[in-house]
Amino acid sequence: MAQPAPLYIVASPRPRIGKTLVARLLMEFLQQSRRPVAGYDINPREPSLAERFPKLVWPVDISDTRGQMELYDRLLADDTSSKVIDLGYGPFDQFFAVMREIDFVPEARRRGIEPIVLFVADPSGSTIRAYAELQSRVPATFVPVYNESVSLLFAKEDFPPTRLECGVIRIARLSPLVRGVIDRPNFSFNAYMAKQPGGPTEVHQWIGNVYAEFRDFELRLLIGRLGSSIRGAPVRRKGRPAR
Amino acid sequence: MAKPTVVVVGADKGGVGKTTVARTLLDYFTAHHVPTRAFDTESPKGTLKRFHPDISEIVDATSVPDQMRIFDTLSTTDANVTVIDVRAGLLSPTLRSLRDIGFLDAVKKGQLNFLVFHILGSSIASLNEIEETSTFTTDGKYFLVKNFINNTSFFEWDQATHASYFRKFKDAVEVTIPKLNEMAFEQVELASVPFLTFVANKGPKGESANYSFVLRGYVRHWLGNVWAEYDRIKLNETVSSGGLAQSGPRVQVVSRS
Repeated sequence: MAQPAPLYIVASPRPRIGKTLVARLLMEFLQQSRRPVAGYDINPREPSLAERFPKLVWPVDISDTRGQMELYDRLLADDTSSKVIDLGYGPFDQFFAVMREIDFVPEARRRGIEPIVLFVADPSGSTIRAYAELQSRVPATFVPVYNESVSLLFAKEDFPPTRLECGVIRIARLSPLVRGVIDRPNFSFNAYMAKQPGGPTEVHQWIGNVYAEFRDFELRLLIGRLGSSIRGAPVRRKGRPAR
Repeated sequence: MAKPTVVVVGADKGGVGKTTVARTLLDYFTAHHVPTRAFDTESPKGTLKRFHPDISEIVDATSVPDQMRIFDTLSTTDANVTVIDVRAGLLSPTLRSLRDIGFLDAVKKGQLNFLVFHILGSSIASLNEIEETSTFTTDGKYFLVKNFINNTSFFEWDQATHASYFRKFKDAVEVTIPKLNEMAFEQVELASVPFLTFVANKGPKGESANYSFVLRGYVRHWLGNVWAEYDRIKLNETVSSGGLAQSGPRVQVVSRS
């Protein structure tokens, strides 16, 4: 059974929440596992993902129809690569509004592409509401990402995944002392992991843990998909659980 | 068998998008499997015929032989619905001709369905025209269409004035055609196919095309909204009256590529 090509949409309605970091990690994780990968940076003011991966990431401005065609038509034309979108908080509403209006998700699935929204969570009420509203309107698979650097609090019940088996992707907190290391303009997670002259450092362990989170998530997704095909129906959570 | 229906689409002024509205009506009837034919009165050119060549004929609505081609064949044609796209400025004269040839009497006797879609311009002058037109449509159904398709600033003038005009015509029903993305509209124009064919990613001869999915999505969404308006005014039920009323779920715009 051919597996659908994932389209990861890293999103949050709030700025400075770690979206680009998650997108960077995902890009390098997919590269490390030797899969073809393409990225899209939808941050017209600050396309930092595109600056880090100039040959792999395409900066797009979706404020006009031409830019929307560049993005959505291109996404549908490529049904083999794993794709990562770093969605800035500015175009957040428009991105999903266009996606709904043109019925993008059913068409993507028809072409063997699985849209997965990696929603970087935070405890603010507006983010919780945005998650619930988006999940009810956009038929993609929603998976919350808990970035411990943003908040020490995370209530799972506020961010229920679309499929029970998807769970939560957790990005551990990195101490501020070494945080500067991964923020360097030319820093590569994979290049750093390849060199361990004096044994693993905190950064090595942190990258290893994040990659393990991604691997576990992919495995859960695969098991869920297999389970659904055996049972003949997708596993979907109905509504939000009572708090 | 439903009794014949004549749909007149017109405006007293050019450039208000009446042919666009006529095209959405033809797509709507196609989707509902209602046999339909169309007459394009933009002789000799004919924009409607460019988009719907198989079911359209170009006629001169002011000539008696062409009037005979349209109206003398109503009971013999296989088409249940006849859509007439009336050239700009000829709406009132056409309606007058219909009265003179006894067509409006046949409508009064219940032998025919008669629907007028009057596409309004954005000026108050176009509302004055309603007064004249509405006198011919007392026994038919009269729809006043606000067409936003390529016009974002429509009826910017005083709402009270607007309301006072519309109150005069209690039998008239307002229909709103929403705006369509400009680039999507332009691409359909270039493709010269019905909206429904564009959505299905097909060319003029039914061949596979390669239109942008984004633009097709915009057209599908827009056409769905236009048809929701036609469903609201019970258009399908009206044209099916006098025979087997079509029932079942509402037709939706579905993309097939």
